[in-house]
Formats: sequence, structure tokens, C-alpha cells
Amino acid sequence: MAKKPSSTKSGGAAVSVSAKDKKTLGSLRVLADEVVDCAEKGRAPHLDVPSRSLSNVRFNKSKRFLEMGSGTNRRELFNLSQAKAYMQTLLISSGCKRLIEEGKTTSLRGLYYMLKHSIEGTKEETFDDQADSDTIIEDVEVTLNSLREEMHLYASNRGNLVGPITLVDSGDEIDCTRMGSAGYSIPSICEPDVIQFKKCTAKFILHVEKDTVWRRFAEDKFWLKHNCLVTHGGGQPPRGVRRLLHRLHKELNLPVYCLLDNDPWGYYIYSVLKQGSINLAFESVRMGIPEAKYIGLRSKDFDRCQLSNSVKINLNDQDVKRAKQIAEYPWFKDKKAWQKEIQTMLGNGFKLEVESLISKDISYVTEEYVPARLEDQDWLD
Amino acid sequence: MKRTPAKSPPVRTAAKKPTEADEADEVAVIDEAETNGEAPAAEKAASRPSTKRRATAESMAAGQRDISVSEFFAKNRHLLGFDNPRKALLTTVKEAVDNSLDACEEAGILPEVWVHIEMTGENRYKVGIQDNGPGIVKAQIPNIFGKLLYGSKFHRLRMSRGQQGIGISAAGMYGVLTTGKPVKIVSCIGKKGKSHDLHYFELQIDTRKNKPEILNGKGEGEDIPFGADGDKFLAKHGVEWKAAKDGTVAHNGTSVTIELEAKYQRGRGSVDEYLEQTAIANPHVTLHYKDPDGKEYHYDRAAEQLPPEPKEILPHPYGIELGNLVTMLQATKAPTLSQFLTSSFSRVSSSKASDVCEAAKLSTRANPARIGRHDGELLYQSLQKAKIPPPATDCISPIGVPLLLKGLHHVVPAEFYVADTRPPTVYRGNPFVIETALAYGGSSAAVKISLEALTEMLGETDARTLRQFLINGFNGIGGDAADKILTEAEFGNRTSPSKLKPAEIAKLHAAMRNVNLEEGQTMNVLRYANRVPLQFQPGACAITQSIMGTNWRAYGLSQSRGGLPSGPVTIMVHIASVWVPFTSESKEAVASYPEIQKEIRLGLQAVGRKLAMFVRKRMKVKQEGERRNVFLRYLGEVAGAVNEINGRDKKKLYDMLLKVAKRKTEQADIKLDDQGRVIKRAEEDEYGDNVLIVKQDEPETPPAATEAAAAGLKKTKEKGTGKAGR
Ligand SMILES: Nc1ncnc2c1ncn2[C@@H]1O[C@H](COP(=O)(O)OP(=O)(O)O)[C@@H](O)[C@H]1O
Ligand SMILES: [Mg+2]
Repeated sequence: MAKKPSSTKSGGAAVSVSAKDKKTLGSLRVLADEVVDCAEKGRAPHLDVPSRSLSNVRFNKSKRFLEMGSGTNRRELFNLSQAKAYMQTLLISSGCKRLIEEGKTTSLRGLYYMLKHSIEGTKEETFDDQADSDTIIEDVEVTLNSLREEMHLYASNRGNLVGPITLVDSGDEIDCTRMGSAGYSIPSICEPDVIQFKKCTAKFILHVEKDTVWRRFAEDKFWLKHNCLVTHGGGQPPRGVRRLLHRLHKELNLPVYCLLDNDPWGYYIYSVLKQGSINLAFESVRMGIPEAKYIGLRSKDFDRCQLSNSVKINLNDQDVKRAKQIAEYPWFKDKKAWQKEIQTMLGNGFKLEVESLISKDISYVTEEYVPARLEDQDWLD
Repeated sequence: MKRTPAKSPPVRTAAKKPTEADEADEVAVIDEAETNGEAPAAEKAASRPSTKRRATAESMAAGQRDISVSEFFAKNRHLLGFDNPRKALLTTVKEAVDNSLDACEEAGILPEVWVHIEMTGENRYKVGIQDNGPGIVKAQIPNIFGKLLYGSKFHRLRMSRGQQGIGISAAGMYGVLTTGKPVKIVSCIGKKGKSHDLHYFELQIDTRKNKPEILNGKGEGEDIPFGADGDKFLAKHGVEWKAAKDGTVAHNGTSVTIELEAKYQRGRGSVDEYLEQTAIANPHVTLHYKDPDGKEYHYDRAAEQLPPEPKEILPHPYGIELGNLVTMLQATKAPTLSQFLTSSFSRVSSSKASDVCEAAKLSTRANPARIGRHDGELLYQSLQKAKIPPPATDCISPIGVPLLLKGLHHVVPAEFYVADTRPPTVYRGNPFVIETALAYGGSSAAVKISLEALTEMLGETDARTLRQFLINGFNGIGGDAADKILTEAEFGNRTSPSKLKPAEIAKLHAAMRNVNLEEGQTMNVLRYANRVPLQFQPGACAITQSIMGTNWRAYGLSQSRGGLPSGPVTIMVHIASVWVPFTSESKEAVASYPEIQKEIRLGLQAVGRKLAMFVRKRMKVKQEGERRNVFLRYLGEVAGAVNEINGRDKKKLYDMLLKVAKRKTEQADIKLDDQGRVIKRAEEDEYGDNVLIVKQDEPETPPAATEAAAAGLKKTKEKGTGKAGR
């Protein structure tokens, strides 16, 4: 069965294939040709997938972000424990090839559904759930050294922005001060070919953890008073948000301040924003913001802000374990302030959410807490 | 502890407390039967008015008298295997069949035996056993069947089934005691053409005197003509006699008919099991069996040669006891002690004899009959201390590896068979040989049973719970397996087996088929002594003990500490000896002599090692097969994906990948042909010649097999009525 000209599927309309797409198609083809090559020579086909584990991640002290090492994991077709993953890797590759040729993009979930079917003659599914295909997609990204967006995939949108900037998104000009109560929804692909910055008067970016806190800042027009952009990433920020922050920081020289919960998870979000994630270390160059600052919440805030006992949330075993792990990260290890911060939290035995400041006053966080920190330049680095 | 009271007739005292519930009414029947006889003298003493001294030496003397063996037996029948009605039935069949086989082999005739069990009333069965043996001369018939401890095998040392000369007459006596019906014997020693061909006796044992009482022909028995008249005569007396096939010449042989109180039940310890196991260890025997339901089973012989005739030997000095020696000294005709020693014992040369005499400080020319108790003991000591070579071992005729394999394969379905015959050795001066055979793989009887057979078994069982029913009724089902089945069928393990509705039985049946019994299955142990299956007292038996003491984990089976191993495996252990040491008269368990245990252990290890080879190989093949399946599953997807990306021919790529996959999983090919099944024959070569491997997945139809078998009977051919459907 010869290759189906994919153009027929999109109704005969010629699909423009960009130079970037050509490069991706090229590496996909190399991947497939290798299988044929092996089979012809009677050898067992395999793939070398760059390892995405902590052991293959290095903290580059001068660049101050995580880098992926050169370690790879061999994935063989004729190995009992790897056979299925091997098959899935090729399936994902073929799916992306189809997307590129047809000039379409889809979500991770979309690709999952596109490729999910039961294997002929069995009851076994190619993918059991989306988590299955999501990991394989990341494998393909690192194997081909192609970014997700280059494979025409995007994650679901999560994260919003408000503030004095005008940008062009897929050709539409957007004034982010005039986006209603929900703000501008940050797309998952924020590459320069999709988003261009047109005009920006903001002096810095305040990144908060969650939607609830972001709304407080939006409603109180914090961005107007302080001439800044306010963003959130719905917890652990997706790649789109990280990429946009990175670009705003690099291209427009905007410092980034983070307002996150005082718990191990909050610390970790900061760590990812700053140094990159272990899982996606290969993207750190394009996403890490080593200069990002952590303005709160701090372990000392319970006393400093005189919060009531009822906002304390006890640390559980998991939290304690995570906190100790984070304290050991090389980029926190030799920072006295951070060590003290984490020790204080462990000493407290409780964690604090940003929302706890509301117990003082609904707008305490926007009117007092953040302005005071910025004023005093009181943050962790 | 109750002493036999002098004042009441001994027959009145109930024998050892019965072990099974059914026993109660049985005891009553005995009382009735026995009180029919004349009142014993002691009864008069019982009616004496009581005095202050309840008994005097004189009054006690009146009750002190000989106890005949028969009386002893009547009270202690559990010693001989008549402890309950179910076992009584088995023992009766067994004694008769064992005799038949012994007689045939001794006469050089390939044995053919007919067994028929008929129900004649509630808890009453008539058992008829006929053989094609040499027959018994007329004069001997009454003693053989009407006198305990009368036989030809006790006084010689030769490998045979019967040993104590207690067997068949005890069965006859039990029948008379429980039903009042005499033992009926037909025998033909084959003087062809004459009119007095068949001898017919109706006998009853006089328990007091241990003497036969002949009831027919005015105390002489009857000679009956061969032919239609004779047939009519026998039919009238309720006796079956199968004439020779051509119908013209009388059939040599003997037929015994005993009516007894009994209980018929299939499963473990049953007549059915006994016959099946007998067929395994005696592949030269043809057995016909008609059960009380009229179902017929035929075990056709798998071998046409008789086992070599075992030679009779003299006792070895190490094997005798002091009492024996004294009796022998009294009985001998030898004029001198030296001659006595050389002619009565094996391996005692005249120089050895004089050594022995010298050590005992006795003259070689002393008259044996004059040797007193004291000197006897000295002689005994010196005999035991003397260095005497072990006895000749050619008196034993083992089954042999080829026939062990044949017999086991004939009856037990499995994938892998291995057998071993150990070289002969000696315990206490008695030569013996241990043989082991093992069958591995295949599915158990429980999986094969038909719904009808299961329903029938449920109807017959007296197990109180389903769990017990499963464990007792089926070989290879242990506690674990039973629990699995019950869970699968959603029954509590206290469910009573007798009250199941048809739908519930169907559910149980399905569960028995579905549950993977391989895991929960315990080893099925077949024990034999001189080719006779041992069905009871496994725990007391040296064979079971040795099996449990062997580390089967080393041979690829799982085994909990000190227990029987589990897995789809049947093991057979045979001890052949001129004198098998049993733990009791009922000949149910082999005594644990260290020499015997050692030989059993070595035999088990020999088959175990081969089993380990097979199990490991099988596991490897299975794993490789599974591996290949996994790869094959994904090859299509991989080829499709590659085709999508670079447009290369999908089919061609698939085929190329398939080739690589096959090479990568080569091990699997040992077992795979193009359909991916079937074992290569050549495999057997790797194991040596004491191994048999059977192709699986093929419908297996050894000559004697159909599914009649179902009811734990495995392979038997079934004719007649109740053809069990699937
Ligand atoms: N079916 C038979 N055919 C020929 N001889 C028999 C048969 N049954 C018994 N006998 C003879 O009767 C003897 C006594 O048998 P039995 O009481 O069972 O004692 P045992 O078998 O222990 O010797 C046997 O030794 C044998 O010589
Ligand atoms: Mg006998």
C-alpha cells in the first residue's frame, strides 16, 4: 500500500509545508527508514531515546538552568518489556507525519484519539490512556529533537494574561488591557511565528500561581496601578505560558516576579520557571528564566502578616519529603536564604496558600502584600 | 482397657469401636448372625448366681480356651481391611483379583479377570470375580475359601501378591457373617471333554473351628456338566461363569461369588480406583469390570508378555526372627546343624555354617531338633553377627521401565512420563526392588468429568461438605484447588454435596473445568507393593513419607515444607519384594526400613531429575512462545506506521520483521510446527530412554481410553448402558 497523498484528505487544497515542517518530516523519515534497514539486514530494530530521568539532567551553573545530558535508553522491538513502547513510538511518529502533511494541528488528546485502536486480532488497545501517549510524545520530541509544536501538537490552553501589551496572535491584534474579566488566554504554542509583540509599556511581570489569585489582581486593576503584566499558569504552568514568559523576559526585558503558595509545590513551580523541568530539560533554553524572583508567600509570613491560626494547613509526610528533596536541588543547595526558607517551613509544620491573605482583607494581597515586597525588594532569588 | 471378660461370650463383645457411622448397623447384623450358632459354653457361667467373689480360678478356667483365628478375625476385622462397608467391598474384590493374578502368573497364563458388582438389597452387594487361571483342584477348594491362614504363599519366599494366606477366606467369612449367604466357588482345571469339568461349592466358614462347612452336594460339593445344563444350573444359583470364547471348551479358571454387606462409592479408595491402579502396574492384564450401575469398563492389556517368573528363594539369615529359627529347627529334616543351616538358608555355605556353629559354641553335627531355647538364641545371635553375603536378587521380577511407562501412559493422561527401576537391594535379608514412575502435565480428572458423571458422584457421596467431596473424590485436587473451584462456583465451602439442584451442579461443573487446577493440584501418589495398589493409610507409608521428604522444588514443582508437592503430576512407587514389610495385616502401608527409604529416595531423585529437565524446558518454550506472541502482535502496527511515514511496502516489511522475530524466539520452535503447536519427537532423545513424551493438543486415544473415564477413572473404555455424554 503506497503512501496516500495526504492532500486528498484535505479536499485537494494544496498544503503549504514550511521549512520547519520539512525538517521534521525529514527526521521522521529517518526514523522509519531505519526500521526497514534493520529488517532488510535481518537485524532487530531499535530506537535510542534520550533519557528524561533525573540522572540524565545536569544543572548548568553558568547558564543557570537544567540541561539534558547525552544519556539514552535503547528501546527494542524484540524485547518483551519494550515492544509495546517501540510500537507506540512509531505510531506517534506516523500520526505527526500525517498532521504535518495535512497542515493541521491537534491537541495531545486529539492525537491520542487519532491513534487509539485495538490491535488487529486482539483486545489490546494501542494506547490504554492519554498518559500513555503523552509520555511517548515527549519521547518522540527528544528523539527527533523536534519541539511539540513542530510536530503540530499543542497542549490544552491553560493560563491567562492581563496588562498593557498589544500582541499579534495568528494575525489578530490583541490589546491585553481590553480582554474582559477573563483576560487573554495564553495559547499553547507561543512561537514567534504565531505570536509577535507589538507594543508594551509594562515594566515587569507578576506571575501568580492560580486563577483565583489572578482574578483578584485583575479585578483590583493591579496592572494599571503598577504598570505591569499579571499572568497565571493554573498551577504548574504549561509550556505555552513558560514560553511566553521567557520571550517577554528575553525580548522585552521584563523582570519576572512570582507569587506562589508557601508549600513544596509552590517552590517547585518557581524552580521549573527558573531552571526548567527535569522532564523537559531539553526545552530549558527556550523556557528557563534564571532571573525570576520569588516574592512570596514566605514561611515567615504567618508571623509577619499576623495571620490567624485557621489558615494553617498541616504538612503531610509527602510534603516533608518533597521539601527535603527540593532543598537538595543543586540550584537551591548553596543558597542560604532558600535553605532557611525551607527549614522555616519544615519548622512551622504547616503550609500557606496565597489565598490565606484574604483572611486579613480581600485586597490585602494586591494593596499591601505585593506592593510592600516590591517596594522593599524583598524576595528570594 | 477392657479385658475380654470370661463371663460373656467373646463374640458378643463388639469389636474395636467402629470408625465410621455406617458401622453401627453392621455390628447389629453380626450379632444376629453369630447368635444363630450354638450358645457358647461360657454363657452358662454368665447365668451363675453372683457370690461375693465374682470369679474364682475355676470359674475363670471355664472360660479360658483356644481362640480360633476365625474368631479373632471376626472381632478384629479392621486389621484385615474390613473396617467399614465401603472398604469391605474393596477388600473382597482386591483379595480375589490379587489371587487370580497370582495364580495366572504362576501358571504362565496371561491374566484376564472379570469383576462384577451387583446390588442385591439395601447395603448389600454380590461380588463375582472370575479368572482364566489354572483353577483349583476340587479337594483344595473348601480349605482355600473356608479356612483362614491356609495358602500356598506363606511358607515360601517368593514375590507374590498374597502373603498371609488370610485374604480370600476372610472375605468369604465377612460375607457369611454379614449376609448369611455362603461363598460360591466354581472352578475348572480344564480336563477337557470329560463331563465333570466344573466343580461347584457353596461354603461357609465355621468360625469356631476355623474349618470350612460345605453346604451343597451333601457336604461334598457338586460336579456340574459343562454346557447348557451347567449354565442353567449356575444361573439358578446366582453365579456367573464365562465360558471360553468359542463356547465349546470349558474355560480354565476360578470364579468366586461373595455376597456381603457393603457400600459402593466411587472416588478415592474405591473399587474403581483399585482396578484402574491395578491396570497401571500390570500392563499384561486384561480387566473387565461391570459396576453396580451396569456400566462396563475394559482395561485391555498393553503388553503381551508375562513378567518373568519370580524365583523362590530360601530365607536369608538376616531376615529371620528368633521364633522363626526355633520353629525351623523343630521342623527340619536335616540330620545335622550344619546341614540344617546350608539347606534352610540362602547364602550359607558349609564353611560359613561351621563358622556360625563355632561362634555359637555348638557342634556342626548337633541334631537340630535337640537344640534348646538357650542354644537356639546363641545360634541366632551368631547368625546375625556372621558375615553372610546378601541374598540373590533374581527372585524379584520388577515391572521394568518400558512397562512402567506403558502402564502409566495407558491410564494416566499426561505430557511427560519417566520411569526408573532401581537395582535390587536387601533389607533385613529380604531382597527388594524399588521402581518409580512419574507422569507430568495434562489436565486432571476433575477437568474431564462429564456433567452426568459428576451428578452421579454427587448422588453417591457421603462427604458432608462440597469441599470434602472434591478433595476425596478426585485425584489431584487438594485443599487449595477445592477452594478455588468453590470460589469460582460461588459456593460456601460448607455446602452439602447431596442437596445441589441441577443448575447448581452445572455451575460446579463449569467451575471445575474453568479453574486452573495446575496450580492448586497436589501430586497424585500411586503406591504399589508387588504390583498391588495400596489405597489406604498413605500417611503411615514409607512411600508417602519419602515423597514428602524429597525436595521437589529442586525438580521444578512447588511444595510446601514437608508436604506433597503440587502440580499436574502423578507419581508411582512400586516396591517388589519376596516379603514386603507392611505396617499391619491389612497390607495398606509399607513399613519404614531405612534401606527401603533410601532406595525410594534414590528412585524419586532419578525421575525427579528428568522431570526437572522437562519442566525447565517446557517453561522456556512457553516463555519464548509468549514472547513471540507479544512481538507478533505489534509487528503489524509497526509495519503500518512505517508505511505511513515512508511509504515502504507494508506486507514485505512485515514478513521481514516476522523472520527476525522467529529467529529471536527460536526456542519456541522446539514445540512449534507451522500451526504453532506440537512437540518435536526427537526431544525424547535428549532425556535418555526411560522417558516418554506425548504430543499435546492432539486428541489422545490410547487403546483403553474414552471419556467414560470422566469420573476420576480417567482412561477406560466404556460399553453398555450409561455412556457419559459430554
Ligand atoms: N483364583 C485362584 N486360582 C488358583 N488358586 C487360587 C485362587 N485363589 C486362591 N488360590 C490359592 O489359594 C491360596 C490361598 O489364597 P488366600 O487365602 O487369598 O491367601 P494368599 O493369597 O495370601 O496365599 C493361594 O495361595 C492360592 O494357592
Ligand atoms: Mg490372596
